[in-house]
Amino acid sequence: MAMRTEVLDRSRGGMWPWLGQRVTAVLVLVTIMIHLILTHYIAIGHLSYSNIGERLAGGAVVVNDIVLLLAVTFHGLNGLRMVVLDWGLAGSGGRRVFDVVLWVVGIAAVVYGIWALWVWVS
Amino acid sequence: MSAKERETANVGAGLWKGTGMWAWMLFRISGLILVFYLFVHVWVISQGRLNGAGTMNSFFKFFDKPFLVFLDLMLVSAVLYHALNGVRIVLMDLGIGIKQHKLVFWVCMVIAALALSLFAVKASSYIL
Repeated sequence: MAMRTEVLDRSRGGMWPWLGQRVTAVLVLVTIMIHLILTHYIAIGHLSYSNIGERLAGGAVVVNDIVLLLAVTFHGLNGLRMVVLDWGLAGSGGRRVFDVVLWVVGIAAVVYGIWALWVWVS
Repeated sequence: MSAKERETANVGAGLWKGTGMWAWMLFRISGLILVFYLFVHVWVISQGRLNGAGTMNSFFKFFDKPFLVFLDLMLVSAVLYHALNGVRIVLMDLGIGIKQHKLVFWVCMVIAALALSLFAVKASSYIL
């Protein structure tokens, strides 16, 4: 089918990034709604260091935030990659370097984010 | 692939001109804004561990301004638009509702608008 070959074509990013983008989209959809309702609705006007600590004390919210951080970092950087590929900025050589840079940035952001959250966990 | 096939192959690109183009552009723009926000957000939240509760609370105190709460609501609207347009794209990829794709888009937008109105009502007392 024309649509399949178009979407999964390597020039548009390849099959695994495409699938990863869909899987993380669903994960982000669920976890970000929980995150938004807790912070931008229930806790609006009350955000503080101790307020975050109280919210994260439950444990389930920590899991939610870490799943969100993992999924949204992949989703965001993979989305950025799609935009850059569409602009045609990453030719075959530069593309591999770009992919490595995105993975390094993504892993660093996730590790740093979990490190930052851990002050309320421990 | 011929130009015509290429044009109609991607639901977001050419099959549905006008509204579809804007939906796609807003999807990209909101996505880029949200990636940028993600990194700023992780940095702000890390202030707690990096510089302690005092520094972090001074950040929150700085954010407690009508205009910044309004910007926060705009952030929520970017998330909701990106999320619900994304739901539409996943549905199209699964082959669900392709023939009613315009209806699917507008149903998604109504859901996004309703969700945003809940957040807007809550935020309004901090903005107005």
